[in-house]
Amino acid sequence: MPYKLFDADKEIPEREKHVYKKHCSDPDGEMPHCNTKTVPGSMTERGCAFAGAKGVITGALKDVLHVVHSPVGCTTYSAGTKRYPTSPDLPDGTKFPIENFNLKYVCGTDIQESDVVFGGMKRLKRSIIEASKEFPEANAIYTYATCTTGLIGDDMDAVAKELTEELGKDVVAFNAPGFAGPSQSKGHHIANHTIFDRLVGTKEPPNTTPYDVGLIGEYNIDGDLWVLESYFKEMGIRILSRFSGDSTHDELCWMHRPKLNLVRCQRSATYIADLIKDKYDVPYIKVDFFSTEYCAENLRTIGKYFGLEKEAEKVIADRMAKVGPELEFYKKKLQGKKVYIFSGGPKSWHLAIPLENELGMDVTAVASQFEHEDGYVKMKKRVDEGVLIVDDPNSLEFEEMIEEDKPDLILAGIKEKYLAHKLGVPSIMIHSYENGPYIGFEGFLNLAKDMYANIYNPVWNLVEFEENPAGEEESKIESGSIEKEDNQVEVAK
Amino acid sequence: MSGINVIKRERNVIINPLKTCQPLGAMFAVMGVHHGFPLVHGSQGCSTFVRYNFARHFREPAEIAVSSLHEDAAVFGGRKNISSGIKNLAVRFKPDLIGAITTCSSEIIGDDVFGFVDTTKKELKTMSEDNKGLDKIEVIPIATPSFVGNHFTGYDVGVKALVDNLAEPGEPTEKVNIIPGIVNPGDIREIKHILELMGIEGTMLTDTSDPFDSPLRPSVTPTRPYFPKGGTTVDEIRDSANSQGTIAMCKYAGSAATSLEKQHNVPAIIETPPIGLQNTDQFLRNLKKLTDCNIPDSILDERGMLVDLIADNASRYLFDKKVAIFGDPDITTGLARFVGEIGMEPTMVCTGANSNSFPEDMEKISKETGTDIDVLFEQDMRSFEVYIKENPVDLMIGTSDGRLLSLDQGIPLIRAGFPVYDRIGYHRHPIVGYNGAMRLMELITNAVLERYYDPTHWKLQQ
Repeated sequence: MPYKLFDADKEIPEREKHVYKKHCSDPDGEMPHCNTKTVPGSMTERGCAFAGAKGVITGALKDVLHVVHSPVGCTTYSAGTKRYPTSPDLPDGTKFPIENFNLKYVCGTDIQESDVVFGGMKRLKRSIIEASKEFPEANAIYTYATCTTGLIGDDMDAVAKELTEELGKDVVAFNAPGFAGPSQSKGHHIANHTIFDRLVGTKEPPNTTPYDVGLIGEYNIDGDLWVLESYFKEMGIRILSRFSGDSTHDELCWMHRPKLNLVRCQRSATYIADLIKDKYDVPYIKVDFFSTEYCAENLRTIGKYFGLEKEAEKVIADRMAKVGPELEFYKKKLQGKKVYIFSGGPKSWHLAIPLENELGMDVTAVASQFEHEDGYVKMKKRVDEGVLIVDDPNSLEFEEMIEEDKPDLILAGIKEKYLAHKLGVPSIMIHSYENGPYIGFEGFLNLAKDMYANIYNPVWNLVEFEENPAGEEESKIESGSIEKEDNQVEVAK
Repeated sequence: MSGINVIKRERNVIINPLKTCQPLGAMFAVMGVHHGFPLVHGSQGCSTFVRYNFARHFREPAEIAVSSLHEDAAVFGGRKNISSGIKNLAVRFKPDLIGAITTCSSEIIGDDVFGFVDTTKKELKTMSEDNKGLDKIEVIPIATPSFVGNHFTGYDVGVKALVDNLAEPGEPTEKVNIIPGIVNPGDIREIKHILELMGIEGTMLTDTSDPFDSPLRPSVTPTRPYFPKGGTTVDEIRDSANSQGTIAMCKYAGSAATSLEKQHNVPAIIETPPIGLQNTDQFLRNLKKLTDCNIPDSILDERGMLVDLIADNASRYLFDKKVAIFGDPDITTGLARFVGEIGMEPTMVCTGANSNSFPEDMEKISKETGTDIDVLFEQDMRSFEVYIKENPVDLMIGTSDGRLLSLDQGIPLIRAGFPVYDRIGYHRHPIVGYNGAMRLMELITNAVLERYYDPTHWKLQQ
């Protein structure tokens, strides 16, 4: 049987179908059940559809004002939660007057009981008008349904339409209330469709070149986008539209004009690439820039598409010369370390092979909170025999895995990080990173460095008090201090 | 004559809120129960966002379960969700207590959570023949619709629900109940320290200090399920009906104290938190009033050390400096008074909550300090920002949410309150009690030295 029932799950046996242990003789179609509702009370890591829409996709835009139609909580929680920085540069060469506008401000309607009873549309309308007065520099206003407004049935599209005319700038409603769909993934889906329906094709870029690409599903977490942008620039490729890290409202409106679309986060954004391909005939390729090998491979593919092979090779050679030697050091140190990838997005399948092939690590479990079948197909292909693939993991499973498998490192989110620590295992935030960016050549080095710093943190050798430390003299030399020299004593782990 | 000028939010739109929703407060209260588990009856975001917020402030795990409401529940009701949520938690985690916390969604769809909890409890009883002890698990319904009140009132509702459901008359004890408010582990530990010096046994309602600041000791940490150490036990909460009195050190979240007084004749004192010299003095007097204990020299020595610190430094470095304070109503009230005590001027105090007597409290502090205070009442961080740009101050005290404004305006920010996520250690150090006041005094003075004295360091030579 390829499925595994955790001891901790014997009371909720339906979980068995969500935990898959890879075996070579399994039929292709077998994989964890996914994209279904979480068992109540099972301590999920999942978020809600609103988080998927605002938190992941639209919150990264630099010149858009966000008005959350909610009781105060949803507004507060959507302020500054994702680390996606922006530059002030706008496509027309001017600068947006407020730096990191997207990280600095979030607006909300602060719904009260009376609005729940009598409807919140008036309040929504007034709030959007007031918000637009407060920040006249904003180029568009996006507004979001939440559980409350979804349930009381406010017609947000009507308000958005009316105010688009009244204010003379796009007002877009995102109808992804928290309870929609089993996870935040539903919010990605709704946001993609809303942006396509309302915005794509409504504006034309100031100019186009034969080397224009759209970068889709890249949210500039910790500056990821800027790393990739530098490669493209050196190759002579221009990013015409970014969806949506460090992007602008206008860029979304002309997403139909690139010569080629590149889809980075294939879970959250393939939807819109498909829609653009069908309606506007813009082809897309799925790309993968985590690790040096994938990055080189994908830059070559893109170079070939545009006839810029030489330029691609130059970028690859240049970056490898910079990061190669240092990576060699970390490779030696990380060799054989057992690691889990508990990532929300598709990092679970992006990172599995690079960690194994390029750093010699042993990936023994991968998990996702909101992956769909296509993602698990890839994950299954990319992990070794015996590796656990867990859909929508819960914390008791997490604890059981740690207890049984004793991994050396866990890549997960902030909610799991500190629990891992309590059980004696180092953990790195892989959603928003620790000292990122983690993408591209330089990013992979950052990731390796962070993994090294966590696994070899001297504290893990000092966790327990020892009354009679054996061989005190030697242990002084060995006890974990981070080494930079190859010939030093290997840290006992 | 000094006085206050109350400025309310005139906009409908809220920009960078200075408050959050009721369920967070209720979850916080339940996290302070030994082996207590919050179960949020709402969408997954309702637990995820709060867990995220707790984790980044305390840098600790925050295990909060959710009933995972979806479209079907929106149409057919969430009875199945809350009921199976409670049962799953009960059999898998065997906690001592589950707080079933409502949200906007479960309130709007009209779920009778109180009824559902009752039924589920009965079911747990019948299940308990093969699952020993399930019927011993306390399940407390807590109604916290998010479109009413704020996180602070949610905390109030949470503590009151725990006490109302559990407190049981029995043998009178020598204990004193303390309702700490939404404060840090360091604050609760400081209160325990004061009680110890006074020779008083206290019951925290509830005690979040250890759960949110737990040791890393894998060999003694039982895995599966991980429960942090500490927290107030269910029995201690039961016994709260028999204490000598209750001190709510949160004026705006003390209704559990009133309830204990009404139902069990436990005298209630509801007061501003002991932040600063006089508020701590008052706290000691209140303890004395309830227990008739002596105030020992050891604690008066601590007071003396604080006085010494203020005497040595306040007039030289702090006099006349203008301070803007923002955050929860209780903490800002305490801070404003303390700032006055050390010779600074609390020229602006901003809170997101609508706690009724807040302006009156500010009026008192204004008279006491001789400072005109602009009171930004029911406001948000945007109003705070606009105000500061027009009325510059020398120092800001508040949460990490003021960090970018501090950077933009070049005004130092002393971090205090919840959340503080861009510095470490702030959850461990108290701001209450004489020790907390000393810590605050040091932070404030050093910030002033850093910003307003360097690099003219010759002034600091003696």
